[in-house]
Amino acid sequence: MVRVKSRYLLCEINVSDRSNLLKLDDRAVAGAVRAAVARIHGDYGAALCSVRFCVKYLNAHTGTVFLRFPKGCYKLLWSALPFITSIESRGQIIPCFFNCLHVGGTMRTCQKFLIRYNTQQLHQMLPKCKNEEEKRQIREAILSCTLTGRNDETFEDELMSEEDGE
Amino acid sequence: MHLQSLQSTKKQEKEKKILPLTTRVSTRFVWLVANCNSMAVFMDLNVLFCADRNRMKSLIETAAHLGFSTVAINYVFEPKAKKQEVPSPMPISELIGKLPMVQGHSCPIRVLNRLTVVMSEASHFRPNASEYRPFDLLAVQPTTEKLFHAACMLCDVDIICILVTERLPFFFKRAPINGSIDRGVVFEVSYASALRDITMRRYTITNAVCLMESCKGKNVILSSAAEKALELRGPYDIVNLGLLFGLSDTDSKEAVTSTCRAVLLHAARKTASGIVYTMKSQQEVLRDTADSEAPAAKRPKST
Repeated sequence: MVRVKSRYLLCEINVSDRSNLLKLDDRAVAGAVRAAVARIHGDYGAALCSVRFCVKYLNAHTGTVFLRFPKGCYKLLWSALPFITSIESRGQIIPCFFNCLHVGGTMRTCQKFLIRYNTQQLHQMLPKCKNEEEKRQIREAILSCTLTGRNDETFEDELMSEEDGE
Repeated sequence: MHLQSLQSTKKQEKEKKILPLTTRVSTRFVWLVANCNSMAVFMDLNVLFCADRNRMKSLIETAAHLGFSTVAINYVFEPKAKKQEVPSPMPISELIGKLPMVQGHSCPIRVLNRLTVVMSEASHFRPNASEYRPFDLLAVQPTTEKLFHAACMLCDVDIICILVTERLPFFFKRAPINGSIDRGVVFEVSYASALRDITMRRYTITNAVCLMESCKGKNVILSSAAEKALELRGPYDIVNLGLLFGLSDTDSKEAVTSTCRAVLLHAARKTASGIVYTMKSQQEVLRDTADSEAPAAKRPKST
């Protein structure tokens, strides 16, 4: 069966100042990854990056990003990701680092992992709530696995349509 | 000394078997062995100490968020003048009030104290000195070939740090490295300087590759020498960095998980006069992902 296989890397961008996260966009992230790969692996890495690399999805509120790499060389390109120390976006330099959470063969497996991961995060946030109203909201969100006010629902729709076209 | 109580889950039984040569065992050591999860336990054994409390707090919180279950705060001591005092560690409760929970596990992060002595002469490291007592881990960083040989074969340390900030002035020989592997001493490569500067990156990779050629990938740990929270990296990223340094896949993952645990077991010889390992006697199917099951702990390399 001939099928072009890719690896989807689910990463989280950690910044020290949460307000900086909203300034990110996917072209800035793609540029930062390409620059880092070129710095570490030189011309060979830069050439590999133009095969099938792209930023599939970026959620600026939580800092989650999906990167797609070709299956044959994803480890090499992944090894350049820890060396990213900052992203330049709209003229501003945002110091950050990438933390890889999951590697999957399809977007759907990454999405399943992300849902589990987010529920764990919500569970951890629950004891830190300040008032009953937030607690109730978070409990409801965990039970129904959607959140109002965040774009997680549109995120799921986007994923469904994108993996069909993959 | 921070003693933690034994956490025993009701759903499983653990059988503790004591080797015949042992007499006493400290409770802290038993907690260390008994509380391992079935998932891999990642440790970062080198987090530089700085006097700024907020910075340390954010470092430890970031480490817990990334998934490290144990962190060791490193006090670097370089004896330049005569009669310089070894720094004494700040107690953990002063440093950070409530220990944050590790991402994905149900227990808080463990914070240990570690001392690194930078040796440029043989007299710098005094074995069995009483000032080393409050530290959980001891490390030494030799700068010449003779000191490296002495550190591998004779010195009573747990970790030998490999220089990453300049070209190694000596080559690694197989004999002292094999001697230290037999004793249970590990070599440490730290990667934070590689993140800052291009020439440091080259030196780090050069020195690490030299080391891997001589030691064949055994008894190596990878750790950050992070000063800020942004210099930490997630455990799977560090495993990938190990591939760059010349380790194989399994060796690279071991460098962040089981070798680190072996170091802690080796270091606990000061407090425990015996070795205890736990064996799983009964295992029931656990539905809840927050529960932990204790696998058979690895036996340390030296009895």
